[in-house]
Parts: sequence; C-alpha cells; structure tokens
Amino acid sequence: MNFFDKVFEQRSRQLAQRSSRRGLLKGLGALLVGGASIPLLPVARASAGEGAGRPMEEGDPSSCDYWRYCAIDGFLCDCCGGSANTCPPGTEMSPVTWIGTCHNPADGRNYVISYNDCCGKSSCGACLCMRDEGDRPVYRPDKTNDINWCLGTASVTYHCSTAIVVGVAFDD
Amino acid sequence: MRPRILLPVVLLWSAAALAAADESGRVVFDYQMNCQGCHTPDGAGAGSVPAMKGHVGVFLQSQEGREFLVRVPGSATSALSDERLAAVLNWIMYEFAGDSLQTPFTPYSAAEVGSLRKSPLNEVDDYREQVLRAIAGADARE
Repeated sequence: MNFFDKVFEQRSRQLAQRSSRRGLLKGLGALLVGGASIPLLPVARASAGEGAGRPMEEGDPSSCDYWRYCAIDGFLCDCCGGSANTCPPGTEMSPVTWIGTCHNPADGRNYVISYNDCCGKSSCGACLCMRDEGDRPVYRPDKTNDINWCLGTASVTYHCSTAIVVGVAFDD
Repeated sequence: MRPRILLPVVLLWSAAALAAADESGRVVFDYQMNCQGCHTPDGAGAGSVPAMKGHVGVFLQSQEGREFLVRVPGSATSALSDERLAAVLNWIMYEFAGDSLQTPFTPYSAAEVGSLRKSPLNEVDDYREQVLRAIAGADARE
C-alpha cells in the first residue's frame, strides 16, 4: 500500500507543480472556440455550390416574367398541370436538356437553369413563353433552344417546358 | 509561442481551401453549361448519348482513346479555353470513370488539350467504334 501512496502522492505533486490553476479552463476554452470556428472555415463551402438548389424565390411560376424563364422557348408546364420543376401527369421528362443561366432578382445571384422538356403528349398550348436570352443559332446545337429537346424519352412529342435550378453560376 | 506559429498555418490552409472550393465551383459550372445538357448530371447519358459514368476511363487505355476524348466535337469545339477544358476533362475522369479507370491517370494539361483540339473529329461514331475495338483487341491479347 505504501508504494501506491507514494506513487499517487508523487504524481499529484508533479501535476500541481506543472499545471496552472486555470489551465483546464484555458484548454477547454480554446477547444470550444476552436471547435466552433471549424464550420466557419471555407472548406464547408466546397459542396455548397452544388447543393444550392433552393434559391430565394419571388414571382409567379405561371407567368412568363418569372425569373427562371429567362431563356425559355415553349409552353410553361406550370400552366399545363405540372410546375416549374415537374411534368404534368402522362408526360415524361427528357433527361437530355438545354441549360442556361438566369439572374434571380430576389437574392441577386445567377443560377444554372435546366430547361427539361416534358414529352409524350401533344403541345400543351397554354402560356407560350419565348424569352430566349442566351439562345444561339443552331450551329451551336448545345446552346440553341429551337430544336426539339425531347431526346432520350420514349416519345419525341413535345408538350411543355420546366425550368429547374441545378446550381449556382460561377461568376468570373 | 505555439499559437503564433499556428495562426499563419491556419490562414494559409484556409486560403488554399478557398481557392480549391473556387476551382471546383468553376469546373462544375463549366460541366453544367457545356456538357450536362446531353451527358446528364451524373454522366449516365440517355438515348444516343453514350454513358461516361463507369465507362469513360476505358478510353485512357490507348493513346488514340486519350486523344479521342479531346477531339470529339463536344470537347474540341466547345467555347471553353484550353485550361478550362482540361480541367473539365480531368474532373469528368475523377468524377465519372469509377472502376473503368485502370491505369494511373496522368491529368490532361492545357497544352496537350490545346494541340489536340486543333484536329476535331468528323466521323465520330465510326472512329469511336474503331478506338474501342482496338482497346478490346489489346485486352484480349493480354
């Protein structure tokens, strides 16, 4: 027993001599402040660019003036039984699509918009909207909206267009 | 003393992380604006658009294949600068190739991309077939 007593006494005295009275507070404080600052470091932003699918919204998705429709050429799915993001029942969304950017007045940022067409039923005919910003001639096939984008779907019949936010535009 | 040493290290590291985040933001944006419309967000393709996902690395098994990826019209005639095209191609490889990338990958450089894109392909489908057949043939002989 004497041996243990000695060891513990020695250790306690060593500890008392070497550490300050508020050393624990200091360490704990540094840990708390340091830990809290980790989420503030810029690493967290790396994924934010991709996941930013929820921009601030204002405006009416059934109106041609709605910010996401800046480059659209077609019928608005929002007037055809679907929405700005979804196809009306009975139609299939084309995975192949034309992509552009639009300025969102609500938060002042530019977003990448994917104009996926809904296909499989004859033209919806409601809310024709042609704003065509950024539209290029057909010799730039990936940047023209004058071709039928019902590609990769079972039917090539065009019904209406959606405008889905797929990311934040990178500003040079 | 330690905090004084640590501070510059943390600052440098933050700056590097910021730069990296910025870089990855640009390459994703370039892919979205120039490729994603047809190649789809995950590179799976659709209809007549071939799948890059889990496949694109196969082309790196031959020099012709490596060059093919730059000479296809979508790459060669895109509006991207050599540097940004190289970054997108490298990103595609890291992001989509998966197990199809068997050999160690030497990233494309702007200079390599710049010289290859001067000879874009015309008969893409035929040439693609030819390149893939040659790679499959070389695999079979091994």
